[in-house]
Amino acid sequence: MGLKEDLIKLKEEAKKLIGSVKDKKSLDEIRVKYLGKKGEIKKVLKSLSKLSPDERREIGKIANDIKDEIEKLLKDKLAILKEKELEEELKKSKVDIHLPADWVELGHQHILTKTLQEIVDIFIAMGFSVEEGPEVEREEYNFDMLNIPKDHPARDMQDTFFINKEGYVLRTHTSPVQIRTMLKNKPPVAIVAPGRVYRKDMDPTHTPMFHQIEGLLVDENITYRDLKGTLQKFLQEVFGKNIKIRLRPSYFPFTEPSFEVDISCTICSGLGCRVCKGTGWLEVLGSGMVDPNVFEAVGIDPEKYTGFAFGLGIERIAMLKYRVPDIRLFYYGDLRFIKQF
Amino acid sequence: MKVPYSWIREFVDIDKSAEEVVDRLNETGLEAIVETFGEYIPELTTVRVLSVKKHPERDKLYICEATDGRKKYQIITGADNVVENSIVLMAKVGAKINGIIIKERNFGSYKSEGMFLSLEELGLADTSEGIWLLPEDTPIGVDGSELLGLGNEKIIEIDITPNRGDALSVKGLAREIGAIFNIKRKDYKANVLILDELIPNISVDTEKCYRYRGVIIRDIEIKPSNLDIQLKLLKSGQKPINNIVDITNYILLQEGQPLHAFDLDKIKGKVIVRNAKDGEKILALDGNEYNLKGTDIVIADENGVIAIAGIIGGENTKVDENTKNILLEAANFDYISVRKTSKRLGISTESSYRFERGVDIESLAEAQDKAIEMILKFGGSNSKAVGQKDIYPNPYTPKKIRLREKTVERVIGVNISKEECAEILNRLEIPTSVIDDGTISKIPAFRSLDITREIDLVEEVGRLKGFNDIPEDYPRISIEIDKNISYYQFERRSRDYFIDNGVNEIITYSFVGEDIYKDLGLPLPEIEITNYLTKDFRFMRDNLTVSLIQVIKENLRHQVKDISVFEISSVFFKDYEEIRLGIALTGKTVKGFSFTNENVSYNTTKSWDFLKVKGLILNYLKLFNIKDINLNYSKKAYLNPYESADIYVNGKEIGYFGKIHPKIAEKVEIPKDTYLAELKLKYVPRELRETVLKDGYIYSIYTNAYTPIFKDLPKYPSVKRDLAFEVDEDVSVKEIFEGLRKESNLIENIRLFDIFYLNNNKKSVAVSVEFRDKNKSLSDEDVNLEVENILQKLRDKIKGLKLRG
Ligand SMILES: [Zn+2]
Repeated sequence: MGLKEDLIKLKEEAKKLIGSVKDKKSLDEIRVKYLGKKGEIKKVLKSLSKLSPDERREIGKIANDIKDEIEKLLKDKLAILKEKELEEELKKSKVDIHLPADWVELGHQHILTKTLQEIVDIFIAMGFSVEEGPEVEREEYNFDMLNIPKDHPARDMQDTFFINKEGYVLRTHTSPVQIRTMLKNKPPVAIVAPGRVYRKDMDPTHTPMFHQIEGLLVDENITYRDLKGTLQKFLQEVFGKNIKIRLRPSYFPFTEPSFEVDISCTICSGLGCRVCKGTGWLEVLGSGMVDPNVFEAVGIDPEKYTGFAFGLGIERIAMLKYRVPDIRLFYYGDLRFIKQF
Repeated sequence: MKVPYSWIREFVDIDKSAEEVVDRLNETGLEAIVETFGEYIPELTTVRVLSVKKHPERDKLYICEATDGRKKYQIITGADNVVENSIVLMAKVGAKINGIIIKERNFGSYKSEGMFLSLEELGLADTSEGIWLLPEDTPIGVDGSELLGLGNEKIIEIDITPNRGDALSVKGLAREIGAIFNIKRKDYKANVLILDELIPNISVDTEKCYRYRGVIIRDIEIKPSNLDIQLKLLKSGQKPINNIVDITNYILLQEGQPLHAFDLDKIKGKVIVRNAKDGEKILALDGNEYNLKGTDIVIADENGVIAIAGIIGGENTKVDENTKNILLEAANFDYISVRKTSKRLGISTESSYRFERGVDIESLAEAQDKAIEMILKFGGSNSKAVGQKDIYPNPYTPKKIRLREKTVERVIGVNISKEECAEILNRLEIPTSVIDDGTISKIPAFRSLDITREIDLVEEVGRLKGFNDIPEDYPRISIEIDKNISYYQFERRSRDYFIDNGVNEIITYSFVGEDIYKDLGLPLPEIEITNYLTKDFRFMRDNLTVSLIQVIKENLRHQVKDISVFEISSVFFKDYEEIRLGIALTGKTVKGFSFTNENVSYNTTKSWDFLKVKGLILNYLKLFNIKDINLNYSKKAYLNPYESADIYVNGKEIGYFGKIHPKIAEKVEIPKDTYLAELKLKYVPRELRETVLKDGYIYSIYTNAYTPIFKDLPKYPSVKRDLAFEVDEDVSVKEIFEGLRKESNLIENIRLFDIFYLNNNKKSVAVSVEFRDKNKSLSDEDVNLEVENILQKLRDKIKGLKLRG
């Protein structure tokens, strides 16, 4: 057996060992065994002195090649072992990605303020401003200046809560904000006024407190056609482009002419159902052209200016849109209800 | 009001269906619905009762023999009012009455071949006594359902707005329908002879009676009305009583003129229309006694009140089966007075309902004559009208109103020619002629309350023209209008903040009751509702906490224990109201959710505690750049004094947060670890309407947010140093923080990382302080010097302060 054969044997032996090794420590032992200072390759190289220079050169080159080769095998194997080790480590801290998140659960916005916000934003986008007024309101603003004189049957249309404060009532509608705004600002005026209102009423469709939003646009050249266009656009934004609207002449003391506004039933699409009482229409708001008496009460010239006003119940809209069956559900603070929306 | 469509068609020749008519009524301004009268009942017939015998075996039952003209039937009935020769409705075998099919049935040893029916069983009255005895002119052996119009007759029901009293009659509806469809209304004139034999002795002694016409009719015979009258009343939702009362009701429905018949022989002396005397009483036809006031109008005789004018008659002059002579009243009273009285006494009658909405004073006599004509025809062959008196001091003069073509266009937005306006108004029986710039109308009495101005005529023109056919347009909203949306945006940002932090928005009633105030030891709210609904809805709340506590209870009742809620709402005081934000938190801070299944909980969730609540509140204030915040231990009686704080901003109290007092928690039955907070939202710059630069911040009304302007980024590094102080136990960390900040202008940040208590009433407070100099890099030595410097100054100011190890 010559040295050359020994070296090739060593290489094959090392290759086999490296191939079968399973951990970094054993791999290191292999490295020491073959490539260490007292390793097998070194031993072969030591015996080179006995050889002729030609042989020495030849065998030396072979030995170095084999050393390089083993080194490369060790390096590759080490990379593999490291990769494996990392994998093991990561595996240990594997999370169940389906675990519940560890973060505060989002709260829920009340469906009424959500509805109200949508409505106000539609009008803000159209160019309206937002106004407020007090809920304990002067009788004069709630009634008289809105062309609802004392002893007029129109005062019966809204059953009023009276309080222990002379000349004041719980406002029965958001319409007094019209008066407050027009007393404060000269036309052009374009406002919406959301808020709580109070009426002495209690059954599955009426509560003694509910929310309204009032709208008012006063300028030169405002006509019924602008009212119709504005409400149509608004209602289509809220209930969808496919709904139809209908204005039915009606009576409110502070508008003339006055209209009840219906939309085609959102439940049956106008075919007739229980919700729309078979008519195919749902009443959603009241509106009209500002009555000249109201203009006169706030010192605006009715010969110069015209305007329209409207008022709608937020609960009514929310009930229709989100199909809430009982108005009282809005006010219990029952989280089982609140968290549905 | 509801009336059969066929009645209306007696006064207007219209070939449209009731449904079509109702659609058009709705579109033109009268809210109307149409329904079918009853349900067709097969095997229903009219029979004449031939004999009535007591059932020999059964008490309270009668054996009757009846005929439909072809066949005899044996019927057993329990009705006491059945008499020989009467005509009744009979359900034969196979008829279905209230879901039950009529079969032959034995009562003892007698067979019943059907059933005599009452109004109630026919579904025509809510209650009825005995069977329905039909009038003498009823044919026998005919299909009962057809005779009554069951399942066939259309009933139109209208719900008028308060201004349309003119439509509250068959005549008024015929007028409206005639105008809508452009068909001339039909009418007839009564043909009556009123003698001068006995002029009623009547005087009107009040300004609130505008017209009073009394007619005496003698020798009448009280009996049931004929079938036509009875059916029309039934179909209009009224119960027939006797011929005289029925006729007054009939004319009220047909003509819209309320009438009242007094038994003349029960009237003592002169009839006076006058104001009531305070304390006067009347026993009315509804069986109730009413106390009257000086503002009420009454009809009186020498003995006292015999009717409340326009509202209800008195028992003392009631027409009954023995009445022979009557005084028939047709009057017109002040609508305000009638309304006030009817409201105060809580009586609403067909008559008062119409007077409150205005009755046509001009048609009074015409309508009354129609009633007299009927009484003379159906009230017995000897009856005669023997005298009348009509007191009408100020006859109606129509108001003239000009309508300018230009006004129509200004309001409606389209041009309608003056000729067309006149044509429309004339169709509505408002006499109108064309003038230079428009039209001029004479407003008839029946629209005198409703149409008083030009704008009212615009509405009439518009609604008949058809508002829905006028095309829409879009207004050009001036962009110069100030946008006052600051508060709106603020509230919205506030809401979003709490929702994003896991708190749920709720809305509760502004009303509160006395009990919760007592439980919390609070004085009652200042604003009290004088006509409150229930005792829980008696006051307007002056804080939100009372309502939030009730919400916690409500949720506990449903086994919901993790409750975090807030509400933004006004609270009320005698002189002002203010918007507040209220918060209630109890149970776990709800953590943990999964997108595949929402209903999971995370078992490491934490309970609310003081510092968590403090963080929630202070971060909220930070959103709006609210600075100079101070906390003091709260003295509110319903809070735990050691775990609650009042919040001060610029020295003003703006609210509180903290834990409920355990004693209160026990009393109101909510968990002791409930945290409450309430903030006044008044400090928000609601008046600020412009974009402004203030304290280095820019404020925008669109976001209601303060955004700082740019500051240079630091050029030099910072140095951190951990310091542990020993201080007396009662020293607040606030003193240490403030002391450090005050004594050094190199401190950028202080972070508390440890507090623990030592022996001998001392505690250790460890903080990490970050130092930075704007102009250079700080060396270790610089920092050591600064620390030494600070300590020296603080030693005198903070009790027992020294640096530990
Ligand atoms: Zn429907």
